[in-house]
Amino acid sequence: MLQNFHYAAPRTRAELHAILADQGPDACLLGGGTDLLANIRGGLAHPRIVVDVKKVEGFSGIVWSEQDGLLIRAGATINDVLQDARVQSDFVLLAACAHDLASYQIRNRATVVGNVVNASPCSDMAPALLCLQARAVISSRRGEREVPFKEFFKGVKKTVVRPDEVLERIVVPAASAGARGNYYKLKRINGHDLGIVGVAICLAGNGEARLGVSSCAPTPILVENLSDPLSAEAVVGAVMKAISPISDVRATKEYREHMVQMFVRRLVDEVKS
Amino acid sequence: MKIKVTINGAVYQRDVAENITLLHFLREDVGLAGTKEGCGGGECGACTVLLDGRPVNSCLVLAAETDGKSVSTIEGEAKDGRLSPIQEAFARRHAVQCGYCTPGMVMSVRALIERNPRPTVAEIKEGLEGNFCRCTGYVQIIEAVLDVSGQADSKQEPTHA
Repeated sequence: MLQNFHYAAPRTRAELHAILADQGPDACLLGGGTDLLANIRGGLAHPRIVVDVKKVEGFSGIVWSEQDGLLIRAGATINDVLQDARVQSDFVLLAACAHDLASYQIRNRATVVGNVVNASPCSDMAPALLCLQARAVISSRRGEREVPFKEFFKGVKKTVVRPDEVLERIVVPAASAGARGNYYKLKRINGHDLGIVGVAICLAGNGEARLGVSSCAPTPILVENLSDPLSAEAVVGAVMKAISPISDVRATKEYREHMVQMFVRRLVDEVKS
Repeated sequence: MKIKVTINGAVYQRDVAENITLLHFLREDVGLAGTKEGCGGGECGACTVLLDGRPVNSCLVLAAETDGKSVSTIEGEAKDGRLSPIQEAFARRHAVQCGYCTPGMVMSVRALIERNPRPTVAEIKEGLEGNFCRCTGYVQIIEAVLDVSGQADSKQEPTHA
């Protein structure tokens, strides 16, 4: 049995904002619940109220807009991303990261927004969103603001989102459509597992390359403004300067550093050819 | 809170605790104990049920969230005392040893073959990656899925990997 809490399922954005304005510090937002319910069960989260965002009108699904790009709403699951035709044709990196996240059952519940607001260093979706220059649209009763993902993460499990706010949707800009890219995630098994290191690359039409790295610093890391994006040595150098991996239960610092270099070399080779 | 949920085709209207999981609701309130609790944390898949046709870990879903939705469990498989084709294939291929993972396994297979009637071995492994079995080593389970999807004579090797 889980600890006691109230469950609220607001139907409108205004109702959701009102609950967060009144009870924000005591509330936890519920997306897919794949982290939240496990954390409540494990005694790591103690909400007095669990606020389900999935039933809020306009909070589900993925929408394409020629002007803005891909809008991933708070209730959109990882499998929604994988099944979206626009993602399949134009956002291959997003699909690659989504595909490597947990298990099929988890992907049916876990949301993209949940994966980033939890701000785990091993987030699988963050590397793609960083590479694709995505932005978080954060709203509250006070209004709405946009934060690019490279300014979104503030530390292990810390983000810029305040207790009265909700990350309402993610905007992946239309300019990132068509970028080539891939994601390599080191796991103990070829299936459901957390990452030991993860490296994503995207190569835009204008020749600009960006990399996103997970599990190698307190937050997911973006590496951009590369002097020579098609030189594996130069890219490895820039990535190694940006990361600060630690040794923990899953791997040593040295192993992480080695595997990041391997993945960067492979990915640069891949996008070059 | 009051919820109305369809389970294996029957409508249930219940007053549920707001903090109870779908898994415990099914087992303790509804009395459908076929769905098993393994890890309780979304790792092992023993508690897999279909929520609006999609496999989910019922230990990570609140009963409250299922208001207005439809749930399928292992109890919905056998009809009139006859095993479902998936269950028969599991029996035929000896894909069951202790049986604890089997209800969740069968529900994942149900969803898999409904979205992909002739899955490859790679697709079977992906569809079942969230279901752990500590007895069989998976080979017989993959053979059962090939069997039930009309690929009993498949040349694909259901090897470990």
